[in-house]
Amino acid sequence: MRKLRALWHRVGGVFAGGRAEQDLADEIESNLQHHIDDNLRAGMSAAEARRQALIALGGVESTKDAVRDRRGLPSLESLIRDFRYGTRTLLRSPGFALAGIVILGLGVGVNSAIFTVVNAVVLQPLPFADADRIVRVWHTPPQATFPGMKVFALSPANFLDWEAQSTSFEAMAIYRGDRPTITGQGEPVPVQSVRASSSFLPIFGLQPIVGRGFTKEEELEGSTPTVILSEAFWRTRFGADRSVIGRTILLDRAPFEVIGVVPAPSFLESTQVFTSLRWSAATRAVRENHNYRSVAKLKPGVPLERANAELGAIAARLEQQYPAENKGWGALVISLHEDLVGDAKVALLLLLGAVGLVLLIACANLANLMLVRTHGRAKEIALRGALGASRLRVVQQLLTEGLVLGLCGGAVGFAAAYYGVQVLVTALGTALPRSEEVAVNGQVLAFTAAISIITGLAAAFVPAWRLSGRDANEILKQGAARGSSGAHDGWMRQGLVVSEVALALMLLVGAGLLIRSLGSLRAVEPGFDASNVLTASIGIPEAKYTTPEARNQFFDRVEQRVRQLPGVEAAAWVDTVPLQGGSTQFVAPEGGPQVQDSELPTVAVRLPSPGYFHTARIPLIGGRDFTEADVLDSPKVIIVSQRTAERFWPGQDPIGKRVTLKMISPDPREVVGVVGEVKMSGLDAGVSDSETAIYVPARQFAFPGAQLVVRTAGAPAALTPSVVAAVREIDSEQPVLDIQTMEQVVEESLGQRPFAMRLLVGFAALALLLASVGIYSVLAYTVRQRVREIGIRMALGAPSTSVLRMVLVEGLKPTVLGVAIGLALAAAFVRVMSAMLYNVSEHDPRTFAMVPLIVLAVGLIATWIPAWRATRVDPIDTLRAE
Amino acid sequence: MTQVDRNTVWQGTLSLMVLRTLLTLGEQHGYGIARRIEQTSQGRLLINYGTLYPALLKLEQEGLIASSWGVSDNNRRAKFYTLTKAGRKQVEHETRQWEETAAIMSRFLAAAEEQS
Repeated sequence: MRKLRALWHRVGGVFAGGRAEQDLADEIESNLQHHIDDNLRAGMSAAEARRQALIALGGVESTKDAVRDRRGLPSLESLIRDFRYGTRTLLRSPGFALAGIVILGLGVGVNSAIFTVVNAVVLQPLPFADADRIVRVWHTPPQATFPGMKVFALSPANFLDWEAQSTSFEAMAIYRGDRPTITGQGEPVPVQSVRASSSFLPIFGLQPIVGRGFTKEEELEGSTPTVILSEAFWRTRFGADRSVIGRTILLDRAPFEVIGVVPAPSFLESTQVFTSLRWSAATRAVRENHNYRSVAKLKPGVPLERANAELGAIAARLEQQYPAENKGWGALVISLHEDLVGDAKVALLLLLGAVGLVLLIACANLANLMLVRTHGRAKEIALRGALGASRLRVVQQLLTEGLVLGLCGGAVGFAAAYYGVQVLVTALGTALPRSEEVAVNGQVLAFTAAISIITGLAAAFVPAWRLSGRDANEILKQGAARGSSGAHDGWMRQGLVVSEVALALMLLVGAGLLIRSLGSLRAVEPGFDASNVLTASIGIPEAKYTTPEARNQFFDRVEQRVRQLPGVEAAAWVDTVPLQGGSTQFVAPEGGPQVQDSELPTVAVRLPSPGYFHTARIPLIGGRDFTEADVLDSPKVIIVSQRTAERFWPGQDPIGKRVTLKMISPDPREVVGVVGEVKMSGLDAGVSDSETAIYVPARQFAFPGAQLVVRTAGAPAALTPSVVAAVREIDSEQPVLDIQTMEQVVEESLGQRPFAMRLLVGFAALALLLASVGIYSVLAYTVRQRVREIGIRMALGAPSTSVLRMVLVEGLKPTVLGVAIGLALAAAFVRVMSAMLYNVSEHDPRTFAMVPLIVLAVGLIATWIPAWRATRVDPIDTLRAE
Repeated sequence: MTQVDRNTVWQGTLSLMVLRTLLTLGEQHGYGIARRIEQTSQGRLLINYGTLYPALLKLEQEGLIASSWGVSDNNRRAKFYTLTKAGRKQVEHETRQWEETAAIMSRFLAAAEEQS
């Protein structure tokens, strides 16, 4: 109780201020007078009485200090005092403070922004109950037919067998995405739909807000078609009306009963409706057609490895049981988190590493600034030491200054990150998984505060450590001979510059490799001409266009109408445009070996209309193009790509050869033409057999979906409205989706590479800028310190060129050393980048040659300015100043 | 080193001496208290003001003594300290404790002497 009371008084005492001081002075004075009175009474002379009393009183100031310490809380007080003092000294040199805050703000800002993304995407668990138990189940395809493909979609029959035979899972669900059109309610709108088994939503712990979820019975054909609305769609489209339950909506003209409303799982956030599976017995038996995805929830305590081993064993059994369909098809279980963010993780961690280096450079830079500045204040600090400030107090004071700078820089950085993150997320677009979860939150604030404080303190630690160790006497003596900065200090400053240059060089090497990689990717010949081409997807409802003839007629009419549009040079349609993947099918060349279906070779199969090759400018190498005469009941024909021809009929004329594409039709088809090779699944797709193509006339398959390919005279995007209008002329309820220029398709196939490159280039440029500021500021300081020496040299007749050379050589030394160290470090660390590179060695000689040149050039400029200034030193002035 | 020792020893004993002095003299100023302690110790203790004033402040913060400005016998302004109620109790308590400690110590030292 007593202690507490005393503590309370002392905390109050911290802010006591002048009145208590006056009181104390009065008391001591009164004490002194009483003593003098006593001494006089004892018979001393007035002077002697005073002298004796003063001796007895002892050091008045130290007494006052002892009382002050007792009055308040000394440590708290000195901290506050340091804070005030630190802020004041920073305000007195606003240039230094501003430079420090900007440097720190940049370093901290980029770190906070990237951390915000990394935190939300990589570090945070998925926003589901028991998220660590939610997994994805994939097929692993036979590598002979799908080289390089790690995972593959599932077939219904295999999934059902896995579900029935495995024991590792609490639940397994199968689903696929779809884009049906909602009609009967004004404008026809395409919606994002997921057709899923009844266990799908419960796996994520998602409960209906209104109504109910799917039942097991609804997975079977014959049950009433039911639909669950996503919460977002329910709010925007139905005004959160609870009476929507029981109503009927039309999806692709078929009626569905609304049974519930549920929040969509975050990674499928754009999903607007969920429909039940309603699989027919025939669908349930499909084993060789893989086009479903799956999620599952592990039983508590079951490790991923056990689930993998179990499913692997089941898949092996199914291979034996159904060799025709399942030969070579395995199973893989991976966590859903890994599945969603796995690819982006590499790029994000790389960026985090990059900004980490930027922060290190910023820290070194700030340390340098502080070192230079503290050196200028060495006398002041030595004086404080001589007056009795303990070393600890001097260090404490310098660290406080670093802390103040750190906090200011952190605030600037946090503000920058707060606004920067949105730009970042928008720019990353679809290349970033979980982007909807990215937000600046408490964790980001804590991270920002932590790195700002650590950086500020670390930067201040260097000068604090240097100064505290020095003998005050020595510095005070040195004061007369101005400017002889200790050799030790010099080393430290040079060391900081060396590390800045080395770190910046590492970043530049990384950025350079990405630029080269992207360059070689862009240089890949896609096999078609992407300029001035507009594409758009049209999926027509089979409920409306029931016959193949009706479907063909629809697309024919659209094609004709689009061709008549002004500004259109050519138009055609194909099921899937290049670079976007598409159907891969088994092919049986006539006269080939008799093998089981699953051992047949595979090819990419595309369905173009006549004129597609002309429109996309895919060269016709031999034979003929499809014509208007290649229709449903005409002879079955195909066009093959050059490499398909070489693959199946090496050295022979492929025209007239026959192959069977079982998934299209059972009859053999005759080759009528040969076209050039086209990149089917992306610019970075390797040259593999499954990339070679066979084209079947679209009209001979009559698929209810196609992509329009329109070659335009001018800018393709400008034609978007007239193309949509043309489609609506043919069918006023028909939506047109994914309208893109072919150049956008190309860009999209590059994934997050361009953005990662731009970011890394930006960070590297920032690093180089900071490093050059470091080079400049150190050399400028050195020149200032040596003004007298330079003046004497020049007075003794040294030409300005030799002064220039002297300063340049000295200034470039740390840069050159930094370049050497940086190159060695870069060579050692580039391995982390190999996953992001395409067709560029991680030790690409051009990058490793160019980057040092750039760094040296920038270093030379940063060195030149202070060196040039040194030559302008007026020897008379400097000598007179002494 | 020695200074630290003296301070730690002083803290407790000085407080008690101050409290005891105030109990005997009633109201007294800092100089008076110092003088009284020196006299009582027959000059064997010299009071350092750098120790006395913080000790007085500590006692005041703990609520054992109170202070107010007044006029001394010499007709000078001085800050006078008096015991509070809690202070009186504290004197009794600490006196008893000190006596006990002293008794134990002297008995202990006597016993040790007999042994040797």
